[in-house]
Amino acid sequence: MQPSDPAAAEAGPAFRAGYFLRGVAGAFSVPGVVLMATFVGFGGLLHDVGFPIGAGLLSTLLIWALPAQVILVGGIASGAALPAIAIAVCLSGVRLMPMVVALMPLMRGRRPSLWLELIAAHFVAVTMWVEGFRLLPKVRQEGRPSYAIGLGAGLTAASMIATGAGFYLTSLLPGPLAVALLLLTPISFTILLVRNARERVDWLAIGFGAALSPLVANTPGGLDLFWSGVGGGTLAFFIARIWKADRA
Amino acid sequence: MTPFSNEMTAILVVIVIGFLPNEIWRVLGVLLGRGLDENSAWMQWVRAVATALLAAVVARLLLIPSGALVALPFLLRAGAVGAGVAGFLLVRRSVLAGVLTAEAVLIAGAWWLGVVN
Repeated sequence: MQPSDPAAAEAGPAFRAGYFLRGVAGAFSVPGVVLMATFVGFGGLLHDVGFPIGAGLLSTLLIWALPAQVILVGGIASGAALPAIAIAVCLSGVRLMPMVVALMPLMRGRRPSLWLELIAAHFVAVTMWVEGFRLLPKVRQEGRPSYAIGLGAGLTAASMIATGAGFYLTSLLPGPLAVALLLLTPISFTILLVRNARERVDWLAIGFGAALSPLVANTPGGLDLFWSGVGGGTLAFFIARIWKADRA
Repeated sequence: MTPFSNEMTAILVVIVIGFLPNEIWRVLGVLLGRGLDENSAWMQWVRAVATALLAAVVARLLLIPSGALVALPFLLRAGAVGAGVAGFLLVRRSVLAGVLTAEAVLIAGAWWLGVVN
Protein backbone atom coordinates (compact mmCIF):
# COMPACT_ATOMS: atom_id res chain seq x y z
CA MET A 1 0.00 0.00 0.00
CA GLN A 2 2.53 2.59 -1.20
CA PRO A 3 1.58 6.23 -1.87
CA SER A 4 1.99 5.41 -5.58
CA ASP A 5 -0.91 2.96 -5.31
CA PRO A 6 -3.29 3.74 -8.23
CA ALA A 7 -6.38 3.94 -6.04
CA ALA A 8 -4.67 6.40 -3.72
CA ALA A 9 -3.18 8.44 -6.60
CA GLU A 10 -6.63 8.90 -8.12
CA ALA A 11 -7.80 10.47 -4.90
CA GLY A 12 -5.04 13.07 -5.25
CA PRO A 13 -4.52 15.38 -2.32
CA ALA A 14 -6.91 13.33 -0.19
CA PHE A 15 -3.96 10.99 0.33
CA ARG A 16 -0.96 12.43 2.19
CA ALA A 17 2.30 10.49 2.40
CA GLY A 18 3.43 12.23 5.59
CA TYR A 19 0.38 11.12 7.51
CA PHE A 20 0.66 7.65 5.96
CA LEU A 21 4.21 7.26 7.33
CA ARG A 22 3.16 8.50 10.76
CA GLY A 23 0.41 5.86 10.67
CA VAL A 24 2.95 3.14 9.82
CA ALA A 25 5.03 4.27 12.83
CA GLY A 26 1.89 4.10 14.99
CA ALA A 27 1.66 0.35 14.27
CA PHE A 28 4.67 -0.30 16.51
CA SER A 29 3.03 -0.47 19.91
CA VAL A 30 2.11 -3.06 22.55
CA PRO A 31 -1.12 -4.12 20.78
CA GLY A 32 0.91 -4.40 17.57
CA VAL A 33 3.37 -6.75 19.29
CA VAL A 34 0.55 -8.89 20.73
CA LEU A 35 -0.97 -9.06 17.25
CA MET A 36 2.36 -10.17 15.78
CA ALA A 37 2.61 -12.90 18.42
CA THR A 38 -0.81 -14.30 17.47
CA PHE A 39 0.18 -14.30 13.79
CA VAL A 40 3.35 -16.22 14.70
CA GLY A 41 0.89 -18.76 16.14
CA PHE A 42 -1.11 -18.72 12.90
CA GLY A 43 2.10 -19.35 10.94
CA GLY A 44 2.71 -22.36 13.20
CA LEU A 45 -0.81 -23.61 12.47
CA LEU A 46 -0.21 -23.25 8.70
CA HIS A 47 2.93 -25.35 8.96
CA ASP A 48 1.15 -27.89 11.15
CA VAL A 49 -1.71 -28.60 8.75
CA GLY A 50 0.47 -28.38 5.64
CA PHE A 51 -1.07 -25.24 4.18
CA PRO A 52 1.18 -23.55 1.57
CA ILE A 53 2.95 -20.49 3.02
CA GLY A 54 2.32 -18.26 -0.03
CA ALA A 55 -1.44 -18.71 0.25
CA GLY A 56 -1.16 -18.34 4.03
CA LEU A 57 0.60 -14.96 3.69
CA LEU A 58 -2.02 -13.90 1.16
CA SER A 59 -4.75 -14.78 3.67
CA THR A 60 -3.16 -12.41 6.21
CA LEU A 61 -3.05 -9.62 3.60
CA LEU A 62 -6.51 -10.14 2.07
CA ILE A 63 -8.67 -11.66 4.81
CA TRP A 64 -6.95 -9.79 7.64
CA ALA A 65 -9.15 -11.33 10.33
CA LEU A 66 -7.57 -14.17 12.28
CA PRO A 67 -10.81 -16.01 13.20
CA ALA A 68 -11.79 -16.22 9.53
CA GLN A 69 -8.27 -17.34 8.61
CA VAL A 70 -8.29 -20.08 11.26
CA ILE A 71 -11.76 -21.22 10.18
CA LEU A 72 -10.55 -21.39 6.58
CA VAL A 73 -7.27 -23.20 7.24
CA GLY A 74 -8.66 -25.43 10.01
CA GLY A 75 -11.74 -26.28 7.97
CA ILE A 76 -9.68 -27.30 4.95
CA ALA A 77 -7.39 -29.37 7.16
CA SER A 78 -10.37 -31.24 8.66
CA GLY A 79 -11.76 -31.94 5.19
CA ALA A 80 -14.85 -29.75 5.45
CA ALA A 81 -16.83 -28.93 2.31
CA LEU A 82 -15.76 -25.63 0.73
CA PRO A 83 -19.27 -24.06 0.67
CA ALA A 84 -19.64 -24.84 4.40
CA ILE A 85 -16.29 -23.14 5.07
CA ALA A 86 -17.36 -20.10 3.03
CA ILE A 87 -20.56 -19.81 5.10
CA ALA A 88 -18.63 -20.10 8.38
CA VAL A 89 -16.10 -17.47 7.21
CA CYS A 90 -18.95 -15.20 6.15
CA LEU A 91 -20.67 -15.56 9.54
CA SER A 92 -17.46 -14.88 11.44
CA GLY A 93 -16.94 -11.69 9.43
CA VAL A 94 -20.27 -10.17 10.38
CA ARG A 95 -18.75 -8.53 13.45
CA LEU A 96 -16.55 -6.46 11.13
CA MET A 97 -19.50 -4.45 9.79
CA PRO A 98 -20.48 -2.69 13.04
CA MET A 99 -16.76 -2.09 13.68
CA VAL A 100 -16.37 -0.37 10.29
CA VAL A 101 -19.56 1.64 10.83
CA ALA A 102 -18.35 2.84 14.23
CA LEU A 103 -14.75 3.62 13.22
CA MET A 104 -15.52 5.19 9.82
CA PRO A 105 -16.33 8.68 11.12
CA LEU A 106 -12.77 8.83 12.55
CA MET A 107 -11.21 7.61 9.29
CA ARG A 108 -12.93 10.11 6.96
CA GLY A 109 -11.08 13.18 5.72
CA ARG A 110 -12.52 16.58 4.87
CA ARG A 111 -13.41 15.56 1.32
CA PRO A 112 -15.06 12.15 0.99
CA SER A 113 -13.22 9.57 -1.09
CA LEU A 114 -14.91 6.21 -1.52
CA TRP A 115 -11.67 4.48 -2.55
CA LEU A 116 -9.74 5.66 0.49
CA GLU A 117 -12.67 4.69 2.71
CA LEU A 118 -12.81 1.17 1.22
CA ILE A 119 -9.04 0.73 1.67
CA ALA A 120 -9.14 2.06 5.22
CA ALA A 121 -12.14 -0.19 5.98
CA HIS A 122 -10.24 -3.22 4.72
CA PHE A 123 -7.77 -2.83 7.60
CA VAL A 124 -10.50 -2.78 10.23
CA ALA A 125 -10.16 -5.73 12.59
CA VAL A 126 -9.95 -5.94 16.37
CA THR A 127 -6.49 -4.36 16.80
CA MET A 128 -7.18 -1.60 14.25
CA TRP A 129 -10.46 -0.89 15.99
CA VAL A 130 -8.85 -0.51 19.41
CA GLU A 131 -5.82 1.44 18.14
CA GLY A 132 -7.92 3.57 15.78
CA PHE A 133 -10.04 4.86 18.62
CA ARG A 134 -6.89 5.57 20.64
CA LEU A 135 -4.77 7.24 17.93
CA LEU A 136 -7.04 8.79 15.27
CA PRO A 137 -8.64 11.51 17.43
CA LYS A 138 -5.13 13.02 17.85
CA VAL A 139 -4.64 13.29 14.06
CA ARG A 140 -5.83 16.36 12.09
CA GLN A 141 -8.93 15.53 10.10
CA GLU A 142 -7.45 16.02 6.61
CA GLY A 143 -4.74 13.46 7.43
CA ARG A 144 -6.95 10.80 9.01
CA PRO A 145 -7.63 8.59 5.94
CA SER A 146 -3.88 8.47 5.14
CA TYR A 147 -2.97 7.89 8.79
CA ALA A 148 -5.55 5.07 9.13
CA ILE A 149 -4.28 3.38 5.95
CA GLY A 150 -0.67 3.73 7.15
CA LEU A 151 -1.56 2.23 10.53
CA GLY A 152 -3.39 -0.66 8.85
CA ALA A 153 -0.60 -1.24 6.33
CA GLY A 154 2.00 -1.23 9.13
CA LEU A 155 0.01 -3.74 11.21
CA THR A 156 -0.58 -5.94 8.15
CA ALA A 157 3.10 -5.90 7.09
CA ALA A 158 4.23 -6.78 10.63
CA SER A 159 1.65 -9.58 10.78
CA MET A 160 2.77 -11.02 7.44
CA ILE A 161 6.38 -11.10 8.66
CA ALA A 162 5.12 -12.80 11.84
CA THR A 163 3.10 -15.34 9.82
CA GLY A 164 6.20 -16.27 7.83
CA ALA A 165 8.35 -16.42 10.98
CA GLY A 166 5.84 -18.73 12.70
CA PHE A 167 5.70 -21.00 9.66
CA TYR A 168 9.46 -21.49 9.50
CA LEU A 169 10.17 -21.39 13.26
CA THR A 170 7.74 -24.08 14.36
CA SER A 171 9.86 -26.93 13.00
CA LEU A 172 13.06 -25.48 14.49
CA LEU A 173 11.74 -24.73 17.97
CA PRO A 174 12.24 -27.16 20.88
CA GLY A 175 9.08 -28.99 22.05
CA PRO A 176 7.79 -26.68 24.79
CA LEU A 177 8.14 -23.56 22.63
CA ALA A 178 6.45 -25.20 19.63
CA VAL A 179 3.55 -26.08 21.92
CA ALA A 180 3.48 -22.51 23.26
CA LEU A 181 3.27 -21.22 19.69
CA LEU A 182 0.22 -23.33 18.92
CA LEU A 183 -1.57 -22.18 22.09
CA LEU A 184 -1.34 -18.52 21.00
CA THR A 185 -4.38 -18.68 18.72
CA PRO A 186 -6.88 -20.23 21.18
CA ILE A 187 -5.71 -18.10 24.13
CA SER A 188 -5.83 -14.80 22.25
CA PHE A 189 -9.29 -15.62 20.87
CA THR A 190 -10.53 -16.53 24.34
CA ILE A 191 -9.24 -13.29 25.87
CA LEU A 192 -10.76 -11.36 22.98
CA LEU A 193 -14.14 -13.00 23.67
CA VAL A 194 -13.97 -12.23 27.39
CA ARG A 195 -12.86 -8.66 26.72
CA ASN A 196 -15.72 -7.97 24.31
CA ALA A 197 -18.41 -9.69 26.41
CA ARG A 198 -20.59 -7.04 28.05
CA GLU A 199 -24.13 -8.33 28.21
CA ARG A 200 -25.66 -11.63 29.26
CA VAL A 201 -26.29 -12.60 25.64
CA ASP A 202 -22.52 -12.46 24.99
CA TRP A 203 -21.70 -14.88 27.83
CA LEU A 204 -24.54 -17.21 26.76
CA ALA A 205 -23.22 -17.18 23.18
CA ILE A 206 -19.69 -18.02 24.39
CA GLY A 207 -21.04 -20.87 26.56
CA PHE A 208 -23.36 -22.39 23.96
CA GLY A 209 -20.86 -22.03 21.13
CA ALA A 210 -18.16 -23.84 23.12
CA ALA A 211 -20.53 -26.46 24.58
CA LEU A 212 -22.16 -27.34 21.26
CA SER A 213 -18.81 -27.69 19.53
CA PRO A 214 -17.97 -31.23 20.80
CA LEU A 215 -21.59 -32.38 20.33
CA VAL A 216 -21.63 -31.52 16.63
CA ALA A 217 -17.95 -32.32 15.98
CA ASN A 218 -18.69 -35.14 13.53
CA THR A 219 -21.59 -33.58 11.67
CA PRO A 220 -21.60 -34.84 8.09
CA GLY A 221 -20.50 -32.33 5.47
CA GLY A 222 -18.12 -30.55 7.81
CA LEU A 223 -20.87 -28.21 9.01
CA ASP A 224 -19.92 -28.43 12.70
CA LEU A 225 -18.83 -24.78 12.97
CA PHE A 226 -21.99 -23.72 11.21
CA TRP A 227 -24.20 -25.62 13.70
CA SER A 228 -22.40 -24.55 16.85
CA GLY A 229 -22.22 -20.93 15.62
CA VAL A 230 -25.75 -20.48 14.31
CA GLY A 231 -27.31 -22.90 16.83
CA GLY A 232 -25.44 -21.56 19.85
CA GLY A 233 -25.85 -17.93 18.84
CA THR A 234 -29.58 -18.27 18.14
CA LEU A 235 -30.11 -20.11 21.44
CA ALA A 236 -28.22 -17.38 23.33
CA PHE A 237 -30.18 -14.66 21.53
CA PHE A 238 -33.60 -16.11 22.42
CA ILE A 239 -32.74 -17.04 26.00
CA ALA A 240 -31.41 -13.52 26.63
CA ARG A 241 -34.63 -12.08 25.15
CA ILE A 242 -36.90 -14.28 27.27
CA TRP A 243 -34.81 -13.43 30.32
CA LYS A 244 -35.18 -9.72 29.63
CA ALA A 245 -38.93 -10.06 28.98
CA ASP A 246 -39.36 -11.86 32.32
CA ARG A 247 -37.57 -9.09 34.16
CA ALA A 248 -39.52 -6.29 32.49
CA MET B 1 -0.83 -35.23 4.27
CA THR B 2 -0.90 -31.92 2.43
CA PRO B 3 -4.40 -30.79 1.49
CA PHE B 4 -2.93 -28.52 -1.17
CA SER B 5 0.09 -29.65 -3.07
CA ASN B 6 -0.76 -26.97 -5.58
CA GLU B 7 -0.10 -23.44 -4.35
CA MET B 8 -2.34 -21.88 -7.02
CA THR B 9 -5.36 -23.88 -5.83
CA ALA B 10 -4.72 -22.72 -2.27
CA ILE B 11 -4.45 -19.09 -3.41
CA LEU B 12 -7.74 -19.39 -5.29
CA VAL B 13 -9.39 -20.90 -2.20
CA VAL B 14 -8.06 -18.05 -0.02
CA ILE B 15 -9.59 -15.49 -2.38
CA VAL B 16 -12.94 -17.15 -3.12
CA ILE B 17 -13.66 -18.98 0.17
CA GLY B 18 -11.84 -16.57 2.51
CA PHE B 19 -11.41 -13.04 1.16
CA LEU B 20 -14.75 -12.46 -0.61
CA PRO B 21 -17.21 -13.74 2.06
CA ASN B 22 -15.26 -11.83 4.73
CA GLU B 23 -14.59 -8.56 2.90
CA ILE B 24 -18.25 -8.07 1.96
CA TRP B 25 -18.99 -6.96 5.53
CA ARG B 26 -16.36 -4.24 5.45
CA VAL B 27 -17.67 -2.96 2.09
CA LEU B 28 -21.24 -3.04 3.44
CA GLY B 29 -20.06 -1.15 6.53
CA VAL B 30 -18.71 1.65 4.32
CA LEU B 31 -21.75 1.73 2.03
CA LEU B 32 -24.47 1.42 4.66
CA GLY B 33 -22.61 3.65 7.06
CA ARG B 34 -24.80 5.56 9.39
CA GLY B 35 -28.07 4.10 8.18
CA LEU B 36 -27.51 1.04 10.36
CA ASP B 37 -29.11 0.60 13.76
CA GLU B 38 -26.55 -1.27 15.83
CA ASN B 39 -29.16 -2.15 18.46
CA SER B 40 -31.78 -3.70 16.21
CA ALA B 41 -32.81 -7.26 17.03
CA TRP B 42 -31.32 -8.43 13.73
CA MET B 43 -27.87 -7.01 14.57
CA GLN B 44 -28.07 -8.48 18.09
CA TRP B 45 -28.72 -11.93 16.65
CA VAL B 46 -25.88 -11.51 14.15
CA ARG B 47 -23.47 -10.54 16.94
CA ALA B 48 -24.57 -13.51 19.08
CA VAL B 49 -23.93 -15.89 16.17
CA ALA B 50 -20.50 -14.35 15.52
CA THR B 51 -19.59 -14.70 19.22
CA ALA B 52 -20.78 -18.33 19.41
CA LEU B 53 -18.85 -19.11 16.23
CA LEU B 54 -15.62 -17.76 17.68
CA ALA B 55 -16.17 -19.71 20.92
CA ALA B 56 -16.74 -22.85 18.83
CA VAL B 57 -13.49 -22.23 16.96
CA VAL B 58 -11.60 -22.05 20.29
CA ALA B 59 -13.33 -25.17 21.63
CA ARG B 60 -12.43 -27.10 18.50
CA LEU B 61 -8.80 -25.97 18.63
CA LEU B 62 -8.61 -27.25 22.23
CA LEU B 63 -10.65 -30.44 21.77
CA ILE B 64 -9.21 -31.57 18.45
CA PRO B 65 -5.77 -29.95 18.43
CA SER B 66 -3.14 -30.36 15.79
CA GLY B 67 0.60 -30.93 15.86
CA ALA B 68 2.57 -30.70 19.07
CA LEU B 69 -0.50 -29.86 21.20
CA VAL B 70 -1.84 -33.41 20.70
CA ALA B 71 0.79 -34.70 23.12
CA LEU B 72 -0.70 -32.68 26.01
CA PRO B 73 -3.75 -33.83 28.01
CA PHE B 74 -6.97 -31.92 27.34
CA LEU B 75 -7.12 -30.71 30.95
CA LEU B 76 -3.74 -28.99 30.59
CA ARG B 77 -4.75 -27.31 27.32
CA ALA B 78 -8.05 -26.10 28.79
CA GLY B 79 -6.42 -25.24 32.15
CA ALA B 80 -3.83 -23.06 30.45
CA VAL B 81 -6.57 -21.12 28.63
CA GLY B 82 -8.51 -20.78 31.91
CA ALA B 83 -5.39 -19.48 33.66
CA GLY B 84 -4.89 -17.01 30.81
CA VAL B 85 -8.39 -15.61 31.29
CA ALA B 86 -7.72 -15.29 35.04
CA GLY B 87 -4.44 -13.51 34.33
CA PHE B 88 -6.20 -11.15 31.93
CA LEU B 89 -8.92 -10.30 34.47
CA LEU B 90 -6.54 -9.93 37.43
CA VAL B 91 -3.80 -7.86 35.77
CA ARG B 92 -5.68 -4.72 34.66
CA ARG B 93 -7.38 -6.53 31.75
CA SER B 94 -4.05 -6.74 29.98
CA VAL B 95 -4.06 -9.03 26.94
CA LEU B 96 -0.29 -9.49 27.22
CA ALA B 97 -0.56 -10.60 30.87
CA GLY B 98 -3.28 -13.11 29.95
CA VAL B 99 -1.29 -14.60 27.07
CA LEU B 100 1.89 -14.87 29.17
CA THR B 101 0.03 -16.52 32.09
CA ALA B 102 -1.51 -19.12 29.79
CA GLU B 103 1.84 -19.87 28.15
CA ALA B 104 3.59 -20.16 31.53
CA VAL B 105 0.99 -22.64 32.81
CA LEU B 106 1.15 -24.68 29.60
CA ILE B 107 4.95 -24.88 29.47
CA ALA B 108 5.26 -25.59 33.22
CA GLY B 109 2.58 -28.28 32.95
CA ALA B 110 4.17 -29.89 29.91
CA TRP B 111 7.57 -29.87 31.58
CA TRP B 112 6.18 -31.27 34.86
CA LEU B 113 4.35 -34.07 33.06
CA GLY B 114 7.46 -34.70 31.01
CA VAL B 115 5.35 -34.79 27.84
CA VAL B 116 7.58 -32.60 25.71
CA ASN B 117 11.29 -32.09 25.91
